[in-house]
Amino acid sequence: MKIRVDVDLCQGHAVCREESPAVFDVDSVSSKVVLKLESPDESLRAEVERAVKFCPTRALRLEG
Amino acid sequence: MSIPAETQAGPVTPPAAVPRGKAPPVLSRAWPLLGHLQELRKRPIELFARARSECGEIGEMNFAGNRVVLLSGEEAQEAFFRATDEQLDQAAAYAFMAPIFGKGVLFDATPEQRKQGLRNQSLRDSFMRGHAEVIAAETRAMMQKLGDSGEIDLLDFFSELTIYTSSACLIGKEFRNELGPEYFRVFYELEKGTDAIAYVNPDLPLPAFRARDRARKRLVQLLSAVFERRAAAPKEKRELFDVLLSLKLPDGSPRFSIDHVTGMFISMMFAGHHTTSGTAAWTLIELLRHPEFGARVVTELDSLYADGRDVSYQALREIPELEGAIKEALRLHPPLILLMRKVVYDFHYKGWTVPAGKLVAVSPSLSNRMPECFPDPDRYDADRYKEGREEDAKLFAWIPFGAGRHRCVGAAFAMMQLKAIFSTLLREYAFELAQPPETYRNDHSKMVVQLTQPCRARYRRRAR
Repeated sequence: MKIRVDVDLCQGHAVCREESPAVFDVDSVSSKVVLKLESPDESLRAEVERAVKFCPTRALRLEG
Repeated sequence: MSIPAETQAGPVTPPAAVPRGKAPPVLSRAWPLLGHLQELRKRPIELFARARSECGEIGEMNFAGNRVVLLSGEEAQEAFFRATDEQLDQAAAYAFMAPIFGKGVLFDATPEQRKQGLRNQSLRDSFMRGHAEVIAAETRAMMQKLGDSGEIDLLDFFSELTIYTSSACLIGKEFRNELGPEYFRVFYELEKGTDAIAYVNPDLPLPAFRARDRARKRLVQLLSAVFERRAAAPKEKRELFDVLLSLKLPDGSPRFSIDHVTGMFISMMFAGHHTTSGTAAWTLIELLRHPEFGARVVTELDSLYADGRDVSYQALREIPELEGAIKEALRLHPPLILLMRKVVYDFHYKGWTVPAGKLVAVSPSLSNRMPECFPDPDRYDADRYKEGREEDAKLFAWIPFGAGRHRCVGAAFAMMQLKAIFSTLLREYAFELAQPPETYRNDHSKMVVQLTQPCRARYRRRAR
């Protein structure tokens, strides 16, 4: 699975980091999402899917 | 009015050299001097629809000499929402709001000043559960005044409720407890002082503007008294505004004056108050107009909360039927009907060019009813957002909160707030319309859209 970010949309609400801290972080200067893992392991799929679903600005997309 | 999202500190991309395209078509039937201003004040949504049908996806309107180029359709709106701040400046487009917010606060500050401006930490996800608790408690307090049955005016009821919830959550609980009924009335006066005639000049000697200026002055007095009381008797738990007032410049003088902090307060309240209040009222009105959806929401809430769980827990989680009803109310009755930006350097779209100095705009009311994105657009259908349809996933078409970098930063808070209010209210009371269904409508004569009064509903306590 591969995560795509639309940075124009991200506002740094940090919901993704709450859902999946292993995969997502928020840069304290730019207030934008940072991917710690671009293609995370399948074992993290459930939490990554939650992060994508609950992103308040729908800035995340999951491929594969 | 939405608060600009935190401005990005990225490098400024110099504008690429693009040959100047043709000028956008100009909308017909402009009056001398006033242009389309009277049409804007009387029938704004029809005006935007006329611009789209006459000019297509790009067309120029004229508000008392201010040229506003309306972009419509998913593609043109995406271009608008994806443009950088350097090209399309949000704050400069709302200069006419300065008499309400005050000098140097939001919409007449320079981009540099705004970059150093307020980052509203109170909207962070980690604060949401506490906010939900506060909102449920404020709703219960309002319900205590209702008794077993009676009639309410929806504008008055939700306006009062949401001014308490917004003050408590965005500003602070202690702060909210200092506020009396006069504050509620004065704030309402200020919201009414937003006639679009401000395009001509926001300082015209008109009764509405004089009332606005009086209201703002009184609000500064009321808030100053609160700030002073709080400064004199420091509490253990300091809130956002105590902190702002205690900040000092290197020379020891205060970083922000009381007037300035009052302005920040007004701007946050403006973003979060009338918008949420109107959406709450419309959510309820539409559920009562469409009782089959109303019944589904009540059943959903009864069953979710049957185990005695807290509103503060559930309001942060999925409540699909209720969320659909809120989103559909937002689609049909968006609280902001025109979003604007000032063109800083030439804006090119397809073969057209909007030169620097003009305004560009997108209309949520128009967009949310585009038939190519929302089948049967005038029909109320709260199932549009269910899995498989998800019509709100059209990010640049379903735009009650705007889109892109300036998308309403309070959107998640607002959804949670509305879920908390209805979770509390609809389990205790049953409502019905007290007027013919078609008599509920918005008053568009002010830029702050409000329901036209009367907008009454009857209620009775539900049997347990």
